[in-house]
Amino acid sequence: MPSKDFDAIDLRQFSRLAANRTSRRRFIGGGAAAAAALAMGGSFLAACSKSDNKSATGTTATQEGPATGTLRISNWPLYMADGFVAEFQKASGLTVDYKEDFNDNEQWFAKVKEPLSRKQDIGADLVVPTQFMAARINRLGWLNEISDSGVPNRKNLRPDLLNSQVDPGRKKTAPYMTGMVGLAYNKAATKRDIATIDDLWDPAFKGRVSLLSDTQDGLGMIMQSQGNSPEKPTTEAVQKAVDLVKEQKDKGQIRRFTGNDYADDLAAGNIAVAQAYSGDVVQLQADNPDLKFVIPESGGDWFIDTMVIPYTTQNQKAAEAWINYVYDRPNYAKLVAFTQYVPVLSDMADELNKIDPKLAANPLINPPQASIDKLKSWADLTDEQTQEFNGLYAAVTGG
Amino acid sequence: MAGVASSSRQRSKIAPYLMILPALVYLGIFFVVPFFSLARTSLSSMGGSVYLPTLTFNWDFSNYLDAFSHYQDQIIRTFTYALVATLLCLLLAFPLAYVIAFKAGRYKNLILGLVILPFFVTFLIRTIAWKTILADDGWVVSALGAVGLLPSEGRLLSTSWAVIGGLTYNWIIFMILPLYVSLEKIDPRLIEASKDLYSSNRRSFTKVILPLSMPGVLAGSLLVFIPASGDFINADYLGSTQTTMIGNVIQKQFLVVKDYPAAAALSMVLMAIILVGVLLYTRALGTEDLV
Repeated sequence: MPSKDFDAIDLRQFSRLAANRTSRRRFIGGGAAAAAALAMGGSFLAACSKSDNKSATGTTATQEGPATGTLRISNWPLYMADGFVAEFQKASGLTVDYKEDFNDNEQWFAKVKEPLSRKQDIGADLVVPTQFMAARINRLGWLNEISDSGVPNRKNLRPDLLNSQVDPGRKKTAPYMTGMVGLAYNKAATKRDIATIDDLWDPAFKGRVSLLSDTQDGLGMIMQSQGNSPEKPTTEAVQKAVDLVKEQKDKGQIRRFTGNDYADDLAAGNIAVAQAYSGDVVQLQADNPDLKFVIPESGGDWFIDTMVIPYTTQNQKAAEAWINYVYDRPNYAKLVAFTQYVPVLSDMADELNKIDPKLAANPLINPPQASIDKLKSWADLTDEQTQEFNGLYAAVTGG
Repeated sequence: MAGVASSSRQRSKIAPYLMILPALVYLGIFFVVPFFSLARTSLSSMGGSVYLPTLTFNWDFSNYLDAFSHYQDQIIRTFTYALVATLLCLLLAFPLAYVIAFKAGRYKNLILGLVILPFFVTFLIRTIAWKTILADDGWVVSALGAVGLLPSEGRLLSTSWAVIGGLTYNWIIFMILPLYVSLEKIDPRLIEASKDLYSSNRRSFTKVILPLSMPGVLAGSLLVFIPASGDFINADYLGSTQTTMIGNVIQKQFLVVKDYPAAAALSMVLMAIILVGVLLYTRALGTEDLV
């Protein structure tokens, strides 16, 4: 999931307030959520309010029987379907305190590492970091195992995700959404199709290109264009990609390094070509048909966001109940219909067709094999590698 | 009788200390302690595991050398932007404050209210609004382009000018208010007296009004220059990869790279330069009291 430069506030929503261009769809959605909240009355409002029921939830983790009490979820903004939380509450009898306060992997980590290292509550029973971050906190020993009995629907996962090298059998990290990192462009601004990384450096787009500030998402496709692979990253390969970015930055080619706030600049026409996340572009296309998403010929990357249960969770059972509910295909289809990312469950076409036949037919939601073949995933980096690569890239993006 | 008098005198001696106590305690906890912690971090080296590093205090001055050698461009750029923004604020705010203080009459409070009104809107939204106003396809850019006034990049957004403009816009209120207060305090009879002594408008401005408004100029400049130097929001939203300020670097070092000594050293450098600048400026203006 895209990172943001800020954690406390969802800047993208703010900027939509200011530039009312791409906002309509989501704002209608927001209005519907508010209406639903009024209609649902108490339980939904209770879910929205910050209930600190620590005493009530503290003991449920070890109880036998079904999950009870409150579940505190911390997820990325705009990553939830309208009404989904309310339906889960109705089905499970649990109260959900759902917060969209996860905006950036590294900044989240900077915030929670002190309490987690002392095994203190971080205010969430379930969190949705990107896979590399999930792997990091797992190596630090800060994740609980997700039990088989609690999540029988885990069998619905795509086999390639279930048998991941990062977490074989998905014992501790439960994929939530996957998405493609590629290039998005505004055809009205580029006046031509974009196909390769070299197109980013076209002098015609000087000062109208944005790259992602996240190290893996930003550098992965650049490395591939240089004949290197993020599956086997070396310091030399990363340095070579960083050097290219620096050269282009110094030329004034690159306008900004962004989190997912590239979306507004792209829709507004300030940016002609951007490194982008597939789901963002599908959402934006609804308002701006000029926007296109393409995987560069030399290759793009996958990102995987995963649901994890920190070892400080106050309600293990409820967190597992949530994951199991998400992994039910009809439920999951509702989520995908909203987030427009690539499903993590197998055989989703039928359920997606029931909601809208256009969903399953969209190559950005249901990518054809030819696209999948062009997508790589980053290797599971050691902490030292992550730190080193972040430092190399930050020397260009942060200065 | 004598006892009562002396105890009340004693009380009046203690009273000032009691009155500054809350502020002292506050500054002690939220400024002095963090300051020393920051200074200590800036002279430490990082070791141990990558994500739970241990900081060892060992007078590691190399952090400072690195801060200067890696980020001198940003340091120079930061103070250039802050200086230009402060000057622009002064040029824009002085006539406005003057009018409010001397010419507004009964509309004084209304105009002051109008000046303050935009600042009820969040800093962030005001900054992001400028993105819309200055957009490449927006009417401001096309209007300026039509009269040939666009900067060399052919755009306004994501240029130095947008960042300086954002800084000026966001901090100008802190120039207007102190200027207004110091101008408002000027006794109009002094200006009349200068006129009686046959001084021209210009001379009574340079000899009477300007010197008497100096405390406001000084206070306003400091209140604009200091936060503008540490600002990173304007550079982030209105700037480009060529306009990063020292605040952006510090944010990145603290939150993404997590090189705490480097970030702390940069923060100390920022503070030191501001402090030296402020001291020189205060001395040059030669005012004893602020406002």
